[in-house]
Amino acid sequence: MKKELEQLRDEFLSAVKDVADAAGLEDLRVEYLGRKGKLAGIMKQLPSLAEDLRKDMGSFANEVKAAIETAFTEAHDSLHEIDRESRREVEWLDITMPGTQPKTGHLHLVTQAIEEVNNIFARLGFVLVRHPEVEWDLYAFESLNMPKDHPARDEWETFFIADGEKQMVGENGKVVLTPHTSNGQVREMEKGNMPIRMININKCYRRQSDVSHAPMFHQFEGLMIDKNVTIAELKGTIDFFAKNFFGADREIRLRPFHFRFTEPSFEIDITCDVCKGTGGDESAVCRLCKDGWLELGGAGMVHPNVLKAGNLDPDEYTGFAFGWGVERTMMMKAGLNIADIRTLYRNDLRFLRQF
Amino acid sequence: MNILASYNWIKEYLKTDATPADFARELSLKSMSVESATQLADSFKKMVVGVVKEIKAHPNADRLKIALTDIGSDTVETVCGGTNLKEGMRVFVALPGAKVRWHGEGDLVELAETEIRGAKSFGMICAPSEVGFEKAPCVPGGIWDLTNITDAKAGTSIEDALNIDDTIFDIEITTNRPDAMSIIGLAREGAAVTGGEFNFETIDLPQEAESPVFPLRVTVKDEDLCPRYMAVVMDGIKVGPSPAWLQMKILLAGHRPINNIVDITNLILHEYGQPLHAFDYEKLEGEEIIVRRAKNGEKFLALDEKEYELNSDNLVIADKKRPVALGGVMGGQDSGTWDGTTTVVFEAATFDPVSVRRTARGLNLFSDSQLLFEKGLSTESPAIALARAIQLTREIAGGKVASAVIDERAQEYKPKSFRFRPHKVRELMGVNLEENEMFEILERLGFTVEATGEVSDPSDYSVIVPFWRGNDIESEVDFAEEIARIYGYHNLPSVLPQGAPPSTIGDQDLVWEKWAKDLLATSGYTELFGYSFVSQDDLSRYGLDPDKAIRLHNPLTSDLTHMRTSLMPSLLKDIKMNQGELTQGSVFELARIYLPREKDLPEERTQLTIAEFGLIEVEPAFLRVKGMIEEMAKKSGLRLSFDRSVDSSSFQGEVGRGSGKGAHWHPNRSARIILNDESVGVIGQLSSEYQDAFGIDRPLVVAQIDFQKIQPWMHVARRYVPIADYPAITRDLAIVVDEKAEFESLAGTIKEQSSIVESVDLFDIYRGTGIPEGKKSVALSITLRAPDRTLSHEHADDVISAVEKALKEKFSAVIR
Repeated sequence: MKKELEQLRDEFLSAVKDVADAAGLEDLRVEYLGRKGKLAGIMKQLPSLAEDLRKDMGSFANEVKAAIETAFTEAHDSLHEIDRESRREVEWLDITMPGTQPKTGHLHLVTQAIEEVNNIFARLGFVLVRHPEVEWDLYAFESLNMPKDHPARDEWETFFIADGEKQMVGENGKVVLTPHTSNGQVREMEKGNMPIRMININKCYRRQSDVSHAPMFHQFEGLMIDKNVTIAELKGTIDFFAKNFFGADREIRLRPFHFRFTEPSFEIDITCDVCKGTGGDESAVCRLCKDGWLELGGAGMVHPNVLKAGNLDPDEYTGFAFGWGVERTMMMKAGLNIADIRTLYRNDLRFLRQF
Repeated sequence: MNILASYNWIKEYLKTDATPADFARELSLKSMSVESATQLADSFKKMVVGVVKEIKAHPNADRLKIALTDIGSDTVETVCGGTNLKEGMRVFVALPGAKVRWHGEGDLVELAETEIRGAKSFGMICAPSEVGFEKAPCVPGGIWDLTNITDAKAGTSIEDALNIDDTIFDIEITTNRPDAMSIIGLAREGAAVTGGEFNFETIDLPQEAESPVFPLRVTVKDEDLCPRYMAVVMDGIKVGPSPAWLQMKILLAGHRPINNIVDITNLILHEYGQPLHAFDYEKLEGEEIIVRRAKNGEKFLALDEKEYELNSDNLVIADKKRPVALGGVMGGQDSGTWDGTTTVVFEAATFDPVSVRRTARGLNLFSDSQLLFEKGLSTESPAIALARAIQLTREIAGGKVASAVIDERAQEYKPKSFRFRPHKVRELMGVNLEENEMFEILERLGFTVEATGEVSDPSDYSVIVPFWRGNDIESEVDFAEEIARIYGYHNLPSVLPQGAPPSTIGDQDLVWEKWAKDLLATSGYTELFGYSFVSQDDLSRYGLDPDKAIRLHNPLTSDLTHMRTSLMPSLLKDIKMNQGELTQGSVFELARIYLPREKDLPEERTQLTIAEFGLIEVEPAFLRVKGMIEEMAKKSGLRLSFDRSVDSSSFQGEVGRGSGKGAHWHPNRSARIILNDESVGVIGQLSSEYQDAFGIDRPLVVAQIDFQKIQPWMHVARRYVPIADYPAITRDLAIVVDEKAEFESLAGTIKEQSSIVESVDLFDIYRGTGIPEGKKSVALSITLRAPDRTLSHEHADDVISAVEKALKEKFSAVIR
């Protein structure tokens, strides 16, 4: 039996060298190692042997089996390697083909901008709220220190809601489409929760339609009211926003301006990204900005009359507010050259899918 | 509003060493924004005065001539087409290298020595419009005749000849500060911001007439619209062109020289910020001026040669018979000064700003004077301006005062004053500024600070407002602005908000709206963002009653008149617009609709529409939209269900459905979306009636959801189901059933057969070859699993047999 085993081993070791492919190797494995294979055949003799011999033969048979298995594994691995090599040669990808677009949708540019603005102010503790778009004159104008005969209260500039042939009038005056998000100021104060750090982002409406004005647009209104709020905090807040939104290297400055509901009122400028705030030089003046500065938007310290309208004592509380166009601020950042701002609201999918 | 201001002119009233650039910067930072500064010298390089010596015919062109022109250093030949070219004329010559605007149009072009139609031309003899003086007087097709404008020698640079070594600022004046919309006002601001010295002295009005008196009676009938009206008659006037210095000043200010009298009024408008008007005395019927409201329907022929129909809101300056001017807006065509005028009435008045604005807007008639009046001018300005007009008229038009100075005013002027507490300024600025520094700033701007004599608080003052600031200064806080801006906002510190942040949380609906938008966009839907207003027709076409929508009283255009009560009309219009370019699309909009409420603001409700358009097959699109909603519900913890029974009024978020219209949704291809036993929306194929109404080519599936109703129930939903311990067995089953056999009933029946049916998934539906009409082949994948052991195949076989049997019995299913 030992001889048979030795012979079997030698036979296998020589046969395995001639095997050329995986199928041949598998046949060989079945022939020698299978349940009804040659090794099993020899092993059937084992029970008929004497006990001491049976033990020796048993262990010898295991050695033979291990040798065969080792040879088999080696042959298997080497065949596999050859196979991989040859497959690699024929497997080829044209990596210049266009990638397959994942099926994703697109958020509107304004939604994207609103999110970005909100995230920045949230870090300073400003809380996102929403106030009405269709609004009483009381909140849109009267409480904002705007005189009855202010041009913004004319029919030429602001949309009024109709009641038959007339303007609708209710308990808080006429009803308008709010021309600014500042209508949220006194509404927020009326909630009675002090201090206030509010961001109100909403649709606004003005009777203008041309390449740089859409009759509906968006503003984000910031309002902070607390004891001893100073101009310095307004500067700090806007500086924080400008650096986070536009870039860490951007600077801001305040210039005098005029709004009815703030006093003092400011125009905020930001350093130009194109000329890096230099305004260009003798040979080439920067075409985008004025002297290195771009207008960002208006702001101011809340007028005492507005605080009073919100039932706050101007000797106790002060605050600042700013209300900027979302579309304009976004386009300034992205450097988007959208020739007609109304394109934003035409809902042409060829436009919307670009962003 | 913007003003063109010459720095030289400003410096007539301001002693300063500031360079134009410094002045512009300081003014921008502390006062008014300088939008541009043009150095005139730069515009007139290589331009000189020439004298035409001889004119020769052009050999090849009848309309052109060759002018032999003395340019000082040389006499050159220049081809010229000017119709007014004359020998001996002093002309504006642009030499090679100069930049001009050909015929006043297009971009600046640099001149070179050239040939024009075969004749050499050295430079060019210019028309005013070719060198930036569009408004300078000039005959049509003519060149600029400088003979009466300068007597400079040939070859003198234009800069020297016209004395325009100057910088012109274009300055934006804020609407509250019409006092700064003038040379004097800018000089005053300039003194405060640069520390320079402001020199301005008013001229006295004459006490009596200097010549035979011309009678004039002035009556102001509507004092509320005209709080002050001053007038004076001047006789012996010779109307003619203004002297060169005046014309240049007028031109650089952006006005058009007309004649000496009109030019004087424009000069004072620009210099003092007080509009004046000059009438021809002879043209005033009845030797009188009546300031009154117009009669309804009264006609007025204005200086712009147009006739306007007036109403009683318009204030007119009338003589005995007719309006001769629209108060503060524009003079009349036939009552102004002309070449033959010898007696003039100067008007200096103050008009009600609101009335002027409404008159101008109402008639669509605008002017420099109206622009100033509608911002609100001081009643103290007319006297000063009138005195200046009298002085200038004497100087340059030879007139004498021929009446008393008439002065009709509603009330005596009393300067305003307000309390002033320096500590309030410090608190607002966040800077420790000394009282004296504050006083100095205020005084430089013309304010007067007085102690109130309050013993208890020595730092409590009273500040008197100068007359020119009488309209914009309204309270104590205005002084803080004056002090802070002159101190320089840019000099203030910058700190992040101090104190504790608020304890409130934001509006949660906004959080969930953003969440839903993000989910929809990442799932392949593109966000639409439409106007909140639509047209009456848009609403009607969708079967909504426009009378039940908020309507604008003053819409801008007829297609944007009603606030939308549903997002559907906008959606359908957008699809119609897009279908030509993109055959298929997946879109959504999440926005507010506006639902009227009696005597109150409308309710603003957030609505969500999700749509797939351009469909060839409705079923898969329906399933995608449904899947989208299910995913949204799953992620936000909503237990939504779908119910087939859709009737025309089932969608509660939509009000004002007109009567007589059919159902919005395909009766067999739509479902109500149910939350807490309440309908919160609809999903389905839009009925073809409305698809057609909007001209949409192919079917569409829409889900319309009352987001406001589902949002309060939304929450972050995270549910954990333990991973199963034992393996499942999956069996596929294809059955042919009736078309109307619903998946849910099939799945329900299958699940009833054994507790080990874990799930039933639909993986294909097939209709067509081999399947009888009215039937469908449904391929299901059934997952079986026992919680406590590994299932045997025999057990699975038994369950499937039971399933097959039940399906045969209940649905007459044929097993494939």
